[in-house]
Amino acid sequence: MQAPGSTTIPALDVNAPDFSITSPEVHAAREESWYATTPYGIAVLRYEQVSRLLKHPKLRQGSVSWPAHHGVTEGPFAEWFASWILNKEGDEHHRLRRLMNPAFSPKLIGGLVPRFQALATELIDNFEQPGQCEFVSEFAEPYAARVIAIMLGIPEEEWPIIARESVTIGLALGVTIREDLPEIEAALKNLYAYCDDLIADRRANPREDFVTALVNAAHGDDARLSDTELRDAMVLLIFGGFDTTRNQLGLAMQTFAQNPDQWALLAEQPELGRAAVEEVMRVNPTVRWVTREVLEDFEYEGVELKAGTTLHLYTESAGTDPRVFEGGFDIAAERKPHYGFGGGAHHCLGHFVARSDMSEALPLLARKMRDLQLLPGSEWLPDSGNTGPMRLPIAFTPGN
Amino acid sequence: MKVTVDMTLCEDHGQCAIAAPEVFRINDDGHLEYEGEPSDELEEYVEEAADVCPVQAILLGA
Ligand code: HEM
Repeated sequence: MQAPGSTTIPALDVNAPDFSITSPEVHAAREESWYATTPYGIAVLRYEQVSRLLKHPKLRQGSVSWPAHHGVTEGPFAEWFASWILNKEGDEHHRLRRLMNPAFSPKLIGGLVPRFQALATELIDNFEQPGQCEFVSEFAEPYAARVIAIMLGIPEEEWPIIARESVTIGLALGVTIREDLPEIEAALKNLYAYCDDLIADRRANPREDFVTALVNAAHGDDARLSDTELRDAMVLLIFGGFDTTRNQLGLAMQTFAQNPDQWALLAEQPELGRAAVEEVMRVNPTVRWVTREVLEDFEYEGVELKAGTTLHLYTESAGTDPRVFEGGFDIAAERKPHYGFGGGAHHCLGHFVARSDMSEALPLLARKMRDLQLLPGSEWLPDSGNTGPMRLPIAFTPGN
Repeated sequence: MKVTVDMTLCEDHGQCAIAAPEVFRINDDGHLEYEGEPSDELEEYVEEAADVCPVQAILLGA
């Protein structure tokens, strides 16, 4: 895989225990070439190519064979995984997307903003100690889970069920998926029962809410969502919306702790909340790579891409590409869009919710937690795939 | 009805082409093409397309 006019194509050992996808090594590779080779395929490093390849018609989303690669080919988890909208392409994907999109419309989500604000305020005001918190367990996790409870219209105090079962199902994305399968499938069963009840309730008692919008979804000639499709989709929404939001909030605190003047600015100008979310997701996205798989052989920028090859599109590397972005972290700057929510047909379905809840949370956090100081004792997911802190102790000066 | 897409914002994600394929389409080069004056019967779908656009680049007029 040699690009014309270039002598070496960098190789990244993404399996090395200390590999970091945001390292100087990766950024140096980006200066040599728009892509690097990896043991799994190729890594795409520059903004322009990430943007194009995310949407390329000769590529499909790349995670569909994950369970099969790890020996899980049948049973409840394999079936649920195959049902994901993320793992569908073409007409099947488009039908699901048309039916699910209206429930996520910015108009419906806008009505939830006061609840997001009240929730953020409540969580911050209830930190156990003044001037100190463990950000993940005291804020990011309950916030992300309770936002989903608010969306689904379930009692907010039931949020630990969402958090617990999502974390268990998340084991399926690790290499020990086979060993963890019984536990994963038990969690799945619990969430199924939960969602079945919700669906039945909204069928009987429709409301002006998200689940009713999904249950009643209709679009032209598209066949309506069956009860099985509804529950499969709802469990995916719980699973796909929880840890991403939790992790992204933790990463935002990391970035702002390194940029105290920007944190102070956000406290003074809460209307910068939206821009703050975009700027954080540009330089510190939780979804570090998005995968695509080559459907048929084709040539792209002089490189022969063979059917079955996996492409990892590096979001942070694209978001900090000096060809497109000036250096630095500046929430008041005009920037091109980042790809932290992916792009193309599979562009994040929940992005209006995620953008809205995070852009309410960050300015409130900035106002009430001045002078951030990261304390020792943080714990992190590996810096690849989906990342973020699992524990993030922070000291701060209480604001009002 | 009138449809205008702000091409300085458009990122060619193609969500509009999923919501209202009669009006929006991604061509073989991966770029958006659209019908600027679709029939009023398509209004519901065009509105949906405008709603779901990730970068909110679609403007609707009477
Ligand atoms: C900060 C929070 C979030 C981030 C960073 C995020 C990121 C992403 C990314 C990168 C993709 C594209 C994956 C790909 O193309 O391979 C995606 C897709 C998706 N996201 Fe999100 N997401 C977030 C929140 C949410 C929420 C709150 C929900 C739902 C409640 C959600 C539901 C989905 C779904 C259903 C898809 C698949 C869409 C499709 O295949 O058409 N996400 N997300």
